[in-house]
Amino acid sequence: MAKIDLSNISHSYNPNDPNPVYALNPFSMTWENGNRYAILGPSGCGKTTMLNIVSGLVRPSAGKILFDDKNVTDLKTEERNIAQVFQFPVIYNTMTVFENLAFPLKCRDFSKAKIDERVNSVAETLNLKSFLNSPARKLTADQKQLISLGRGLVREDVAAVLMDEPLTVIDPDLKFRLRRNLKEINEQYKTTLVYVTHDQNEAMTFADNIIVMSEGEVVQTGSPKELFERPNTTFVGYFIGSPAMNLFDSEATSENTVKINNTIIKTNTNLSNLKNKNIKLGIRSEFIKIAKNQSENLVDVNVQKVEDFGNYKLITARMDNFEIKSKVNRETEISGEKIKLHIPAEKCCIYENNKLI
Amino acid sequence: MSKLYTFLKYFFIVFWAVFVVAPFLWALTTSFKDFQSVNGGVTYIPWVDFEPNLEGWKVLIKSPAKGGVDIVEPYFNSLFVTCTASLISIILGTLSAYALSRYTFKAGFVKNNDITFFFISQRIMPPIVLSIPFFLFLSSINLLDSLVGLIVVYIVLLMPIAVWIMVDFFNKVPREIDETALIDGCNPYQAFLKVVLPNSIPGLIVAGMFCIIFGWIDFFFAFILTFTEVQLLPVKIVALNSSVTPWWSLSASALVSVAPLIIVAFIVERYLSKGNLSGAIK
Repeated sequence: MAKIDLSNISHSYNPNDPNPVYALNPFSMTWENGNRYAILGPSGCGKTTMLNIVSGLVRPSAGKILFDDKNVTDLKTEERNIAQVFQFPVIYNTMTVFENLAFPLKCRDFSKAKIDERVNSVAETLNLKSFLNSPARKLTADQKQLISLGRGLVREDVAAVLMDEPLTVIDPDLKFRLRRNLKEINEQYKTTLVYVTHDQNEAMTFADNIIVMSEGEVVQTGSPKELFERPNTTFVGYFIGSPAMNLFDSEATSENTVKINNTIIKTNTNLSNLKNKNIKLGIRSEFIKIAKNQSENLVDVNVQKVEDFGNYKLITARMDNFEIKSKVNRETEISGEKIKLHIPAEKCCIYENNKLI
Repeated sequence: MSKLYTFLKYFFIVFWAVFVVAPFLWALTTSFKDFQSVNGGVTYIPWVDFEPNLEGWKVLIKSPAKGGVDIVEPYFNSLFVTCTASLISIILGTLSAYALSRYTFKAGFVKNNDITFFFISQRIMPPIVLSIPFFLFLSSINLLDSLVGLIVVYIVLLMPIAVWIMVDFFNKVPREIDETALIDGCNPYQAFLKVVLPNSIPGLIVAGMFCIIFGWIDFFFAFILTFTEVQLLPVKIVALNSSVTPWWSLSASALVSVAPLIIVAFIVERYLSKGNLSGAIK
């Protein structure tokens, strides 16, 4: 267990090229001991590179990695005491399940009694107890992935367990249970868990801190609530949440009002220092409701369709040239095609050059 | 339709079996015949068509002084040379194949694939091209007509096969296996020995089988690089021929020379039927 500091890390796979392409742009970050982190981003945004840098499989082109303030940038993977679980199950085919789970401990010369104790405890947690003596290659894909996971959890003193989309091959029901198990393990052993995923629900339900990445850049770090309510960039707003955040091209008209087409919307953001009058207003569809007795921040829309998702209704409507989505209670009655929607000022996010102000 | 299919299937299987087994049976019966039974018209069944005798087999172990050819020593020479050369080729070949599969080499325009091709290209060349350099090389280090000299040459011939098969095999073993082993605390050597190699046993068996076959059947280099001190089995068998072709002892020697390969084939076949060669990864 360790605090992990990434200091000015950047990485290019062709650093000697005159025009190197950076898989990771310079960034710094600290992973506190015992926390759960999720790295979230679309495919190819540098998530796996980041993990491989931490585990030592990839040496960063620049920057330092510190485990508990000790520089480990030049340490080899096997000397870092880190665990990593890959997207697809990696098991040692020639060994039994027990030998697979015991392998990381054997490599580090643990006593037989200690190995037995740890393997049994991990096997118990992961429901692998009845398979301990079977050859690992005979197991199903999700059981194999449990073995990979188990090999990551079997060392108690591990600096962090890095997981690269580990639940891809596992069926949804077991996925849910495993995520809960991982949380329990984190709470019980205070192991730092880092979980890479492109699935926002997975990230939101698993982590207390989410790192959102896009095109080799760390765009925002924060709690699920922060990411949801105050996305730093329009990318985060678009990437997180379902449906994506509503974004409208607008124009600042005073220090706290913007104009979308001809509608004036009041916000709680101070707009007096804007360099550019053309901005974007973002608002989550969860916060847009059908107007009742509000007097301001109302927009007239034409309802296009209403989808019933069981626990909520999603209204898709048009406001001139913009599409607007609103998530409302299931019981809400939508009367007629023309309705008024209310946009609460405190939930409005204003973006200048796609960055939150 | 399905009856016709079944009929055709069995017809071809029987046809093929006869095609493969008949020469062996033919050689087996011939080995027990004498001059009379071989040259006096076609005969098939011992004791009925002809009187079997062991002369053809006895010649193989009798010393030349007593009119025999004594293939025992060449036989063990062949076994020794083939097994040693195959073993060394497999060890060296596996190590180079692993390096070629996992690490990037670059010397000017020469990259991993070119190096792999360089190994294989040794086998593309006709053997005759290599014979003079090999001859000069062995004579310069005084290893002509010796078992060690033959082993050295056979390693050169067999290692490309091992490299070729194992590079392909290692390329199919996911890199994550090595990476996981490193993460679990192995150093790169342990990762190779404890994790990658046990996963590659099927490849090793295939490569070993090819090395043994190609080593065992080689006549050309055994013929060119040895004279009187050392003889290998194929050369000795050819030497059996004389003005009167001794078909009986030729058949007997053919059968004993094929025997090791049949044993290898049986072992590999049993391993194959256990399903151990397939599905090693994932």
